Amino acid sequence: MIQFFHVGKNFPGGQVGLDDVSFEIARGEMVFITGASGAGKTTLLKLIFREDSPSHGQIVVNGRNVSSLPRGKIPFLRRTIGVVFQDFRLIPRKTVFENVTYLPRILGMEKELQRRLAYETLRRVGLAHRLNAFPPQLSGGEKQRVAIARALINDPEILLADEPTGNLDPDLSREILDLFVDLNLRGTTVLLATHDRVLIERLGRRVLTLERGLLIQDRPRSNLPEAPPLLREVHEVEEVAEEPPNGAVHSDEDQR
Amino acid sequence: MTLLKALFYFFREAALNMARGWRVSLLAVLTIAVSLFVGGVFLLVSGNLAQVVESWRSEARIVVYMKNAASAEDQARTHDEAAKGPAVTDVKTIDAAAARQHFRELFPSLGDLVEGWSEDPLPPSLEIAFDPTRSDNGAFEAWTARLRALPAVAMVDDDRDWLRQLENLIAVVRGVGLALGAVLLGAAMFTIGSVIRLTAYLYSEEIGILRLVGGTEFYIRGPFYVEGLLQGLVGSMLAVGGLAATFAFVRPQAPSSVLAWIVARAFLPWRVVLFLLVLGAAAGLIGAVMSLRREALGALEE
Repeated sequence: MIQFFHVGKNFPGGQVGLDDVSFEIARGEMVFITGASGAGKTTLLKLIFREDSPSHGQIVVNGRNVSSLPRGKIPFLRRTIGVVFQDFRLIPRKTVFENVTYLPRILGMEKELQRRLAYETLRRVGLAHRLNAFPPQLSGGEKQRVAIARALINDPEILLADEPTGNLDPDLSREILDLFVDLNLRGTTVLLATHDRVLIERLGRRVLTLERGLLIQDRPRSNLPEAPPLLREVHEVEEVAEEPPNGAVHSDEDQR
Repeated sequence: MTLLKALFYFFREAALNMARGWRVSLLAVLTIAVSLFVGGVFLLVSGNLAQVVESWRSEARIVVYMKNAASAEDQARTHDEAAKGPAVTDVKTIDAAAARQHFRELFPSLGDLVEGWSEDPLPPSLEIAFDPTRSDNGAFEAWTARLRALPAVAMVDDDRDWLRQLENLIAVVRGVGLALGAVLLGAAMFTIGSVIRLTAYLYSEEIGILRLVGGTEFYIRGPFYVEGLLQGLVGSMLAVGGLAATFAFVRPQAPSSVLAWIVARAFLPWRVVLFLLVLGAAAGLIGAVMSLRREALGALEE
């Protein structure tokens, strides 16, 4: 489904984003990408949906060589990939409904169908009541969930999420992870970039670990249990730890 | 998505954008409205003036004033020569007494001026009517030159001389109007372009996001183009509305005001109205396309 062949990414100034990274992710897999800040997690995700191009190497997504994809075909690649951005990337002057339904709208879906789909998707992330709100009126957690709803609405083949629980409180993090697991069980290939070790360990999925652009570990899926019961365990672990996991920093806004 | 649905989407998005950013849109709309209004006023004035000149041209005459000392024989020869003119339809002889009578009728309070002279102050004359459609040729000019050279003729007054001057004046008015209109239209296009560019700049992040979630350039740019087109169209409709209102205000004053009588004879023909509407819409669209060219370069660099 996703193949990296000796992929490297160098930024202007000589900074190395990725260095000779090779791996393969099969259809229907759920994979965590982890590493410290600046390790290359976001860069790796950006290369998959061609927000950025590799300096060298080849990337194949769903049978298409993304590295050499003509510019005009990039939007069609992106329509098969749902992306949850770390900084949400919502359009401030559009309502939640308009943000979430952009793709169905340009694909010519009937308005009633759009509304139903948006309602259903927003209900899954617990935001059906905020359909007509504008992003500046939402808390960080709500924005995150709108971004997730936007990524899910087109029922993508691949879901990429960059620190998707970074702005959410523990309860909501669990719900969102439930959502990703559920989506994965339905056949969607899911890639989650996070440095939340607790979630990674407890879910027992395959983990790619990056360090300064190098893929230093490709740990296969363990036989640990998964899905909702596990997520309750995560909650318990967090409570025992008496401090929020890395990245789960809550602003005052999140408390709204 | 069919083209019709895409267009519906563009118009809906453009209308939403205009409604949400109405202050900026209003600036673009008013600029184009003022430009087309000014251009339209010049077209209206020059069109009506041209109509006036045309009506005067159909009533144009050549008046041949005789010398007081001209013999009856010379006067008869002059009459014969006048009647031989290539486009002449009628030759009327006005003797000194009839000329005095005509003067008194035209200027009753100045009637005494033509009394008490030792010889007639108003000489006999020939008033020549002609077909104006056949008068602009060499044969007609040669004939008027022959008239001027006749021994009995003191002066030839050709209405076409001042009509030509008036026509030149109208051409200048029309030229100045069109030039001013073009400059203002250029300014309007620039303003609309700036408004769209500002919008595109303000929404560059939005455009980037739309690209990331799978929007094609067609769907990203479409609403901006339609926004420019709508701004231009609304502006030109305001201009035409303003022209119609001005015309309706000036027209009732025509009986008492020569200026109103001249400029408010008829409103712009529907073809000119249609032209103004299309011009406004096109200016808005071109402004939008031009302003998003830089955006296009940005997309290529992506």
